[in-house]
Amino acid sequence: MDPLWSNFFRNKLEEESLAYFLGTVPIFSDLGKRDRITLESLVHIRTYRQGETVFDEGDPGSGMYIIRNGRVQVFSRDSKGSEMEIARLGPGDFFGETTLTAPANRTASVRALEPTELLGLFRADVLELTKKQPAIACKILMGVTRVISERLQVAGKNLMQLRREHPQIFPDEIVA
Amino acid sequence: MNGLDLINRKRMSRNQAILFFLTLTAGIATGLIVYSSATTIVSLLRAATTALFVPLLISLVLTFLLEPPVTFFERKTGNRSLSIFIVYILAGCLLYLFLSWIIPHWKETWHSLQSDLPRYIGQMTGYLRDLVDRLHVQFPFIEAYDIPSRSRALAENFLGGIIIGTPKSALGIGGVLLIVPLFTFFFLRDGSRIVRTCISLAPNRTFEMVHDMTYLIILQLSHFVRGRIIEATIIGVVVYAGLSITDIRYPFFLAVFAGITNLVPYIGPLVGMIPGILIALIDLGLGGQFWWIVILYFLIAQVIIDNFILIPILISRFSNLHPLWVIIAIVIGGKLFGVIGMIIGVPIVSIIKITLIEIRHYRRTFSLIETTIEAENL
Repeated sequence: MDPLWSNFFRNKLEEESLAYFLGTVPIFSDLGKRDRITLESLVHIRTYRQGETVFDEGDPGSGMYIIRNGRVQVFSRDSKGSEMEIARLGPGDFFGETTLTAPANRTASVRALEPTELLGLFRADVLELTKKQPAIACKILMGVTRVISERLQVAGKNLMQLRREHPQIFPDEIVA
Repeated sequence: MNGLDLINRKRMSRNQAILFFLTLTAGIATGLIVYSSATTIVSLLRAATTALFVPLLISLVLTFLLEPPVTFFERKTGNRSLSIFIVYILAGCLLYLFLSWIIPHWKETWHSLQSDLPRYIGQMTGYLRDLVDRLHVQFPFIEAYDIPSRSRALAENFLGGIIIGTPKSALGIGGVLLIVPLFTFFFLRDGSRIVRTCISLAPNRTFEMVHDMTYLIILQLSHFVRGRIIEATIIGVVVYAGLSITDIRYPFFLAVFAGITNLVPYIGPLVGMIPGILIALIDLGLGGQFWWIVILYFLIAQVIIDNFILIPILISRFSNLHPLWVIIAIVIGGKLFGVIGMIIGVPIVSIIKITLIEIRHYRRTFSLIETTIEAENL
């Protein structure tokens, strides 16, 4: 076939599609192909320049972001305004998932380290999905809950270990 | 504070002062030009928007109304377009049944209404003349005003306009009947995509907030529109039920009128009961049936059903407007789009109010959390 026409009639490769990429993200690993196509229509694709802020600590949070391309830096500011890096995230990583189900302010700031493409999944869209296709919404929310639970368990273990190492810092009621 | 004071206080340079006065002069000149050509802009705007504005608005209202059944079927079928078709077929069947019931009545009623109208106007003028005669005895200075003739001319003009204008507006309605289902279909099918496209234009920094607020505003609006329509329908049904047990003529049309005017708060219900009470007074006299109709309009429909039952359940107290805003909305709506503008003016102002309240609520919710965190840190 003529290369010009082959461009027109070429089907998008499975690996290039957004639905395939979403399937590689741990939160959505339980979703089937049809569910991932529904999810594809739900996420918002946003592009960020190098150094651009995604959100700041204290901003109203209404959902999570998944990194499709590029890298971001998660950081926090102390009372004097100096920054402390918490994590650097790359393609396939996600952040802000705790605000997907409950409205809360962002607890850290995020900025793009290079030109970055993020997929935003927001509470309002998930709520809409619960009305229209509750089965898929349930799978998505189960995935989010699973990841949050795993992270909470790890955080709890770390906290216990820290308490054992530095008992003077932690009053009893915090760990209880 | 005048310009010289400002210059002295801010210690402007000569160039800055010249620039300041030039800008001020240009501003005043632009204001005058805009003011003088405002009538032309308004008329242009009206001509450009009237054709599409009403069908678009009706389509949006229908979209809000049909969204719950479409979502219901979408949950069952998993296909949105198919669900819309199912809802359209069901709505079409209902409309067909309604029209096949109303059309024979309508022809009959229209002919009798044409002969009855001059009689009603004549009777009304008679009542007014009696009233004015009595008033002349009490207040002789109002003799100069010929109230009965003036009101008769006004009523004849208004009603004549409606009778002549109806075939013309029927043509318009034909156009609307074609456009509205089409617009509604696309709003139902692609509404969320249209909203997503609009939201995607927001800058990255404000995107999340715009997205969240749009959802909240649409949610509130859909509740408001559905609530108002259901309220108007129930009022119409109650008025119809109440009127049909009396001997009054045109109970169906009086009930429809009462329902539609009920969409406008405060003033609407009062306007809605005028024809009913007037016809009752002329046809039935000041008997038991007349007082039953008055009680039905005021006490049963408005006070008991609307104020005590429907409004607390259906309409959020935030979306209720102050009477002053209602009057402003009716005047501006009437000036821009005539009678339809008077009906839709109030809902549009309510929509603006809901939008502003949601923005304030959103900001307050999050600033409250921030304040708490700060307080805890202190």
